Amino acid sequence: MKRSFQEINEKIRRGKAVVLTAEEVAAMGKDHSPAEVAEKVDVVTTATFGPMCSSGMFINTGHANPPIRMERATLNGVPVFTGIAAVDLYIGATENHPENPAYGGAHIIEELIAGEDVELEAHAKGTDCYPLKDIKTTINRENINEMIMFNPRNAYQNYPVAVNTSNRIKYTYMGSLLPRLGNANFSTSGELSPLLNDPDMRTIGMGTRIFLGGTTGYISWYGTQFKTDAELNEHGVPVSNAATLAVIGDASKMSPEFIKAAYYEKYGVSMFVGIGVPIPVLDEEMAARLMIRNEQITTRILDYGDPDHPELGRTNYRELMSGEIELNQKKIKTASLSSIFQARKIADILKKQISEGIFLLTEPVEVFPKNKGLNSLDIR
Amino acid sequence: MARKKQRLVLRFPVGTVDEPITYTLIKEYDVMINILNADITPGREGNLLVEISGEKDSVDGAMRYLKGKSVEISPIIKTILFNQSECIHCGACASVCFPGALIMDTESRELRFSPENCVACELCIKACPLQLFELNFGVN
Repeated sequence: MKRSFQEINEKIRRGKAVVLTAEEVAAMGKDHSPAEVAEKVDVVTTATFGPMCSSGMFINTGHANPPIRMERATLNGVPVFTGIAAVDLYIGATENHPENPAYGGAHIIEELIAGEDVELEAHAKGTDCYPLKDIKTTINRENINEMIMFNPRNAYQNYPVAVNTSNRIKYTYMGSLLPRLGNANFSTSGELSPLLNDPDMRTIGMGTRIFLGGTTGYISWYGTQFKTDAELNEHGVPVSNAATLAVIGDASKMSPEFIKAAYYEKYGVSMFVGIGVPIPVLDEEMAARLMIRNEQITTRILDYGDPDHPELGRTNYRELMSGEIELNQKKIKTASLSSIFQARKIADILKKQISEGIFLLTEPVEVFPKNKGLNSLDIR
Repeated sequence: MARKKQRLVLRFPVGTVDEPITYTLIKEYDVMINILNADITPGREGNLLVEISGEKDSVDGAMRYLKGKSVEISPIIKTILFNQSECIHCGACASVCFPGALIMDTESRELRFSPENCVACELCIKACPLQLFELNFGVN
């Protein structure tokens, strides 16, 4: 059984496409062969809702009269990037308020998406064409021009589990890690996760239409730190962080339900981003990939109690989702930093939209690189 | 007879740690003791977080016995407030919650909060990325 994007879209338009979530197709895989799944199912929806630091939003505030070429600017006191044209700003999700480390760019983004007023303050040297030197005013979703979310690195394909063998609690971007292996935190939606369901990225590529923060968005590029040389397990999925996505979307249509500011104690601000990616069941091989179950997805357990983060062992997502893993003969409580509950909600919304014929699939304009490693930063 | 239930932190001075205090409390005063957290090292001071329940007279007698042993008693008057309606069910709090007041349902993947199990250790306050927990100083 083979079908093209065009054939699937034709079925979607006619309201005849069979759409399942990745969890549903994983369950179906227990008593169906890949051939049977490929026969019955047209599209599988995948999703994730996790804290993704490499996120942010471009805004254009519109020009004041007289105009200003903003050189330094803050929103509710949080510095934003002004090194582009006069009134284009980039709000970095992790930028924090100088006096309040628990408040930052992600909060500004969430407030703007929610339609709230945000105070803008900007300064400039003044030029012949932009004479204004200082401005203080309020902006909101309705009175600015664009709100374009552009996240350079989201939706990591897989991510290691964090534990702590030291004698002190560690506050990290992987949450609070209790001393002496007191807990284990992970951050992937497992069998629901987009890139774990299409590990070779046959259907996920540049231009793929996705669910982003409550509206339609697009995959604009491969994400930063994208790599293809990670070790694979026997089911062909990387056992560690590997591929990533850069995504873009109209934030003025997003919902604060799917974009949430976060603060991790003694680490800083981050942002939960809701992403859903539909994957077409092009053939039997694609079906086999989509049937992957939590127990077939391996991930490494790293010790954040040691600055080198050595690997202490390996586990899989079924064990992680059970609430407990065993390491060094010790039972350790697990928790996810990404919300499976929210990811399921996104997968269901996307399923509904596709079933109703209002969300069509896009074939990648270009596929992602097949051979890409990573450089590290040498200190010279 | 009225029943009484109290949550207390018992601080044992050096010297009392080796005595079978909980045994005496149960045997002589007929109170129920639920040990919620213990940090006792022989030869040093120890801390015990307990819930003591029983008939009012029994509990009061147990208190007099503990005071006689120079055990420092501090009732827990702190409680944790949880702004549950804003919760996104990530689970960051559940992995640090040792008394099991915050539990991730393995089926629905929803976070469940059982305040009766909470010992106000405050770890969830720092663990929650949405800062939905706060400490409440009430009167016990």
